[in-house]
Amino acid sequence: MTNDKTIRIEPVTRLEGHGALTITLGAGNKVKDVQFNIGSTRFFERFLVGRPMEEVPRIAPRICGICPEPHHLASVKAVEAAWGVKPPPAAIKLRRLLIESKQLSSHAIHFYALAAPDFVFGPFADPSVRNVAAVLKYMPDVAVQAIKIMEFGQELCRDVGAKAIHPVTAIPGGMLNSLTEEERDKWLKAVPQLLENVQKTVDLAKTVVKAYIDVITKVAVTPTYYVGLSNKGVLDIYDGTIHVMDPNGTMVADFEPKDYTKYWGEHVPDHSYATHIYYKPAGYPDGIWRANTLARCNIAEKMATPLAQAALKEMRDLVGRPSHHTFAYHYARIVELVQAAESIKKLLEDPDIVCTDVKLSDVTPRAGEGVGVVEAPRGTCLHNYECDDEGIVTKANIIVATNHNVGGIEKSLMDAARLIFEQDGLKKLRLPEPLVKT
Amino acid sequence: MTKRIAMAQLTSCWGCDQSLLDLHLGLLEVLPELEIVFWPAVVDFKIKDLESMPDESIHIGLVEGSCRTEDDVRLLNLMRAKSKILVAWGVCSCYGGIQGLANQWELDELVDRKFMKADTVTDPRIPSENVPAFVPQVRPNVDVVKFNILLPGCPPTSKNIVEALAAILTGKPFDLPEKSVCDQCPKVKQDKHITKFHRSHEGRIDPSKCLLDQGYLCLGFATIGFCGAICPTVNSPCKGCFGPVLRVKDHGAKIVSALGAIAEMEPEQLKDSFPDPIGSFYFTDYAASYLSRMRDKARSKKK
Repeated sequence: MTNDKTIRIEPVTRLEGHGALTITLGAGNKVKDVQFNIGSTRFFERFLVGRPMEEVPRIAPRICGICPEPHHLASVKAVEAAWGVKPPPAAIKLRRLLIESKQLSSHAIHFYALAAPDFVFGPFADPSVRNVAAVLKYMPDVAVQAIKIMEFGQELCRDVGAKAIHPVTAIPGGMLNSLTEEERDKWLKAVPQLLENVQKTVDLAKTVVKAYIDVITKVAVTPTYYVGLSNKGVLDIYDGTIHVMDPNGTMVADFEPKDYTKYWGEHVPDHSYATHIYYKPAGYPDGIWRANTLARCNIAEKMATPLAQAALKEMRDLVGRPSHHTFAYHYARIVELVQAAESIKKLLEDPDIVCTDVKLSDVTPRAGEGVGVVEAPRGTCLHNYECDDEGIVTKANIIVATNHNVGGIEKSLMDAARLIFEQDGLKKLRLPEPLVKT
Repeated sequence: MTKRIAMAQLTSCWGCDQSLLDLHLGLLEVLPELEIVFWPAVVDFKIKDLESMPDESIHIGLVEGSCRTEDDVRLLNLMRAKSKILVAWGVCSCYGGIQGLANQWELDELVDRKFMKADTVTDPRIPSENVPAFVPQVRPNVDVVKFNILLPGCPPTSKNIVEALAAILTGKPFDLPEKSVCDQCPKVKQDKHITKFHRSHEGRIDPSKCLLDQGYLCLGFATIGFCGAICPTVNSPCKGCFGPVLRVKDHGAKIVSALGAIAEMEPEQLKDSFPDPIGSFYFTDYAASYLSRMRDKARSKKK
């Protein structure tokens, strides 16, 4: 028998998905083990086998109801890669509009609904008020600006994808429908207010970053590798090559998505149904990497749009490159939120966005293998299918964004747990007065 | 007076939560009516908080997802015990959902594929520490506990959700529509002379005409008209993701029998048109089918 003490947090809340936390403390509160336990999975890789491959982009969004657009698009790209199909340029622009809209709403929901309650009410506020419903009650102006950004993103997803949750319009060979001029004009008219709300979000985020700089620079500063798409150095969530940066900030790999098995390892932990994806050449656990906003911002040489580029520069002046600060993920999320809003504006202003030539009519299945990759809000999303000459799926491998992060989450939780239990570090942190006292 | 509400997620994609959030400014009207006592996606209450509540102390319990693990089964039973009105929130909760398609295989095959045989796996093992055991098959939640309201959809639309909540809050009955997706679809239907079925990527669709008439497998005729015919309206065939029309017990059986009557094709030819009958006819409700239940029964007997 040991005298170990176990702390179990179940479920981990304000998280999309099912997670629990198990911390084991030994003598003198020494942190012996930290586990992030993901308690379910649905076996898509098995039941996709036998389906006609053109149907998979309708099934794949169901992997995640919060980020179905990236799955829809990674899936259709994988089918097109296997069949050697190249969709018309206007279809690609529509797909970009779809994924940027999702990026916008997802980043807004993450910042305002999942993260902000900690900063607004303070990390030690009563759990019953530490949530977005309370933000709505105590800071209605902020809540309304949050809702308006989310609404813009979700409703634009709906106009392009027909359904915001589980979109249907991307098919092998293009898009089922084009955007009408009327729809385009409606969205263009709404853009100035969107940019205004995004700017208010940036201002709020900067206030928060300033107030919590001690937390950002002292809690869970965890060096890892980083993985993400980059398009010739520019942060691009729809297309590019996969980059890997090592903990020192050196780019150690840059490869085509189809070559991923050479670089991506999948560690199966004993304590989680979510596997840990890592940099295979470095082995596990040394090769643990993280994806998501901070990873992409570490990897990118520059952003695709001017205001986002200015925001990235400001962030780097504060936390450097690479930044290993787990709490800087929120800051990077805001940098990307700006890029999403600017990219939407740019795409809507492009005359091609209402072009009706968005679908090939002569798509023919053939035996083959295809890999499709996009960046989901939480990281690189990869679909890999093989099919027979009728186009029936014979094998599927899917790597969702979260799995790139769970190894890194455990590492940063370990750092945070040591600070809290071994060094009694919470008491030494400089915390600001909460924005709202309840 | 506010009503106490709990929202619990079993194994699922969380799209039903997103659909609720997609009420946007409508949230400002709905949320003040509710006191959220459990909703892990948004508020910080834990399982032990839910366990410590008196039975039937929650006015409205929404259960999303289906049971893939023993923890899911426990949470489902807990939600039933604590809730006065229990709502099956979304098609997973009503009929098992997309993950029900996994019922075509035995659990050990599923686990083997994911943890032992995936191309990228470098150290295969089956996780067993601090994780709940999987259940052998996905069952519709209504087979496990009694529900007061079914709210199908993948996901149910924001409008569907707010209408159900409004009915519950005002004490009015909430009834699902008698209509089918076809009844809601704006496309022009003619007499059907289907001699060949196309796959969804083939050919060019005439946007004014019924997709089924054009030989695309659009399942609107057998699917509950609750979504507003979103997919066929944009020329994407209905996959049946909201589940069957009212009182139909087996979605796929209904589809197969109807196709036999509609298509001017020999039975063999019809069979060859659908290399994937289960995926084609039971998109999100295979777990609720006779076929899956028979397999479930045989499995239990074997044990």
